[in-house]
Amino acid sequence: MFQSRSEYDRGVNTFSPEGRLFQVEYALEAIKLGSTAVGVQTAEGVVIAVEKRIPSPLVEPRSIEKIVEVDVHAGAALSGLTADARTLIEHARREAQNHRFHYDEPMPVESIARAVCDLALRFGESGEGGDDDDGDDNDKNEGDGEDDERSGPRLSRPFGVALLIAGWDENGPALYTTDPSGTCIHWGAKAIGAGSEAAQNALQEQYRRDMRLAEAEVLALRVLRQVMEEKLNAHNVEVAAVTRTVDHARVGQFQLYSTERVKACVARLPETETATS
Amino acid sequence: MDRPLSHSSFLPPLFSSAPHPLSPPHSVPHPSAAPSVNAAERPARWSPYQDNGGTVVALAGRDYAIVAADTRFSVSFSIPTREFTKITQLTDRVVLASAGMGADRQYLHKMLHTRLAMYRHQHQRDMSLPAAAQMLSNTLYSRRFFPIYAFNVLGGIDSATGEGFVYGYDAIGSHEQLKVVCSGSGQAIVQPVLDQQFSGRQRYSVPDAERAPSLTLEQATALVRDAFASATERDIHTGDALEMWQITAAGVRQTRYELRKD
Amino acid sequence: MSSSSSSSKGGNGGGFNFDHHLRNQWITACLQGNADASTTDPVPNYARHARKTGTTIAGVQYVGGVVLGADTRATEDTVVADKNCEKIHYLASNMYCCGAGTAADTEATTRLIASQLELHRQAVGRARVPVVAAVNMLKRHLFRYQGYVSAALVLGGVDEWHGPSLYTIYPHGSVDQLPYVSMGSGSLAAMAVFEAGWREQLSEADARQLVYEAITAGIENDLGSGSNVDLCVIKDGGRTVEYLRGYAQEQVRTYRKPDGYAFPKGTTAVLAEDFRKYVQVRKVVSDL
Repeated sequence: MFQSRSEYDRGVNTFSPEGRLFQVEYALEAIKLGSTAVGVQTAEGVVIAVEKRIPSPLVEPRSIEKIVEVDVHAGAALSGLTADARTLIEHARREAQNHRFHYDEPMPVESIARAVCDLALRFGESGEGGDDDDGDDNDKNEGDGEDDERSGPRLSRPFGVALLIAGWDENGPALYTTDPSGTCIHWGAKAIGAGSEAAQNALQEQYRRDMRLAEAEVLALRVLRQVMEEKLNAHNVEVAAVTRTVDHARVGQFQLYSTERVKACVARLPETETATS
Repeated sequence: MDRPLSHSSFLPPLFSSAPHPLSPPHSVPHPSAAPSVNAAERPARWSPYQDNGGTVVALAGRDYAIVAADTRFSVSFSIPTREFTKITQLTDRVVLASAGMGADRQYLHKMLHTRLAMYRHQHQRDMSLPAAAQMLSNTLYSRRFFPIYAFNVLGGIDSATGEGFVYGYDAIGSHEQLKVVCSGSGQAIVQPVLDQQFSGRQRYSVPDAERAPSLTLEQATALVRDAFASATERDIHTGDALEMWQITAAGVRQTRYELRKD
Repeated sequence: MSSSSSSSKGGNGGGFNFDHHLRNQWITACLQGNADASTTDPVPNYARHARKTGTTIAGVQYVGGVVLGADTRATEDTVVADKNCEKIHYLASNMYCCGAGTAADTEATTRLIASQLELHRQAVGRARVPVVAAVNMLKRHLFRYQGYVSAALVLGGVDEWHGPSLYTIYPHGSVDQLPYVSMGSGSLAAMAVFEAGWREQLSEADARQLVYEAITAGIENDLGSGSNVDLCVIKDGGRTVEYLRGYAQEQVRTYRKPDGYAFPKGTTAVLAEDFRKYVQVRKVVSDL
């Protein structure tokens, strides 16, 4: 097993005789080193919260960005190699804007997640690189000059990052994950990153579909607090939500919480965890 | 809305003698209609465009939309076929009618159906009316400097509210959401009647909000039939039969009525 | 003498005439060389808005006479200007003439020649004038105008010298004499019917039916032709004419909105109102 692994884990697009792509599996392992991110979907909206590891007291916490906006109605929390995430997020943002340009409507959240996954496996040393025309865009980009990213060089390895994509489209609130293998799954509540195993167990016990948004905020932060090494406070977590807007009923609005708002959420947490686990 | 209606100076000489797609097709003087003294002396330049005539109408009410077109296909003074549909159904709630050149219309409709299918596969749902409207506009604009010679009217109902809307286009994608619109060879005959009867235009003494009379589907159907009967009386390129698509929350219904054949 | 003085005043009807202005503009443009003489048209604009009779006209000879036929559509460009116009014109009691081309030209030409034919008939003191006389007058008139009088004619008549005869006269002045003829934008459709159905020694009924079918072919298949079929039968040595206006009326409006159109009060804008109770009228009697 280990012998064959050492032979087959070098080429990113070579299967092992057991039918595995080791580089992709290693990339999945890389996620487990990343900071924990938690997402909770309710009827009132989707909450995402991420642990922000501050390596040194000299670091300005605001410069570490773990939650980003993808479009007005969708955002993403990331776990893993933050630099790789930038490529994926850039792609997701571009696809979302392209969709608005072509169809004058917000892109469905599932489609955003799929668009990210489409890119996840587009790696490898070989390939046509420059004129990478994947043929899946059926000429819709013709003439609008929006496809310049395709001319850039490919990444030669899998993306070492997983995303929690939260959004609200015509079908209501939605929470998706994407990972280096290009898998895209819709969740009620999901944790990714270093503490994801324990966090997911906690979510499984405590998540209810009929939760209020305020309850979801508390749940996400409590789960995060359980798995974080540092003591959770308003500066070492990032929180965002996609909620229904008053004026625009059909889709939601992504909003990153200010430090004050995170503080208020943290204040609502119970002092200690009841001994459930 | 500002629509570019004439800018022939921007076009290569190839197009300068052709019926320009940005000017309404019926305004193109027919070569055999007026044998100008110099027409014979000046060699006719080749044109990639042809006007195959016909009239298209779309109008929308509170809970319906109607898209209608005649079925005549003409080339100058002859009728190659009396049964050539100008209408295509895009989704359960969206129907498109195009006047202009037959070949360009078929090409455009085929391309739109491809894009609708791709959208359906990518997003697991049908395109909404506004999405189809924007997509059509982009499709037309992608050919900004070699336009598709088709004059489109798009009609349908909003998938959420069920309210009817129509969109009118020029050949290169300028578009506008409306309640009533028509295009093609009978436009000059039909549009004023629809403006008056359907939009309540010209009734200056009536406050704007109360102007538009709310016609029922049956009343609107009768109005469209009458408009086409009238256009057929006076426009030589309109006639043979009327195809009408009624779009309501219950679905689409297609009806055919005979028109004069002379 | 008198004719030259009247033309220099620019017509007898009074008012303004801008023909020379347009001509001068054109000449100036040509001399300056900045306008291609062939693109700046000396024909006045209004002349090109003339009503054309994109038309199907046809005629057939039979043993005892001729049958003429015409559709009744007049067009201006692609708009139907008249749905029931008359295209079979009177020339003389034994001659009728169908006209295609510019309506004004066919009407004016046939009326002009009709007058001359009548003068000629009176001068020679006969009951009827031979058809060839009309043919000569028409072709000389059209030839003189070098095709600018756009009249394409189908002339049919019966006289005691040649019996039934049928001619076509082209706008430039050429003439054909044939047993069956057609003219106008629908002439191909009509001629197709003739070539398929014409025989020698047709009876009157068969000739009528054939012309009716030829005109109908034009009405249905030529966009310049439409509406009804008019027929005119000249027979009996020119003594009998049956002018069958509206012989067939098969193309009719297919629908009319049952409740019509009621325009509510206020449809027409009232921009200003000014009421006067009455106006006083006074009679002033002068001393003078």
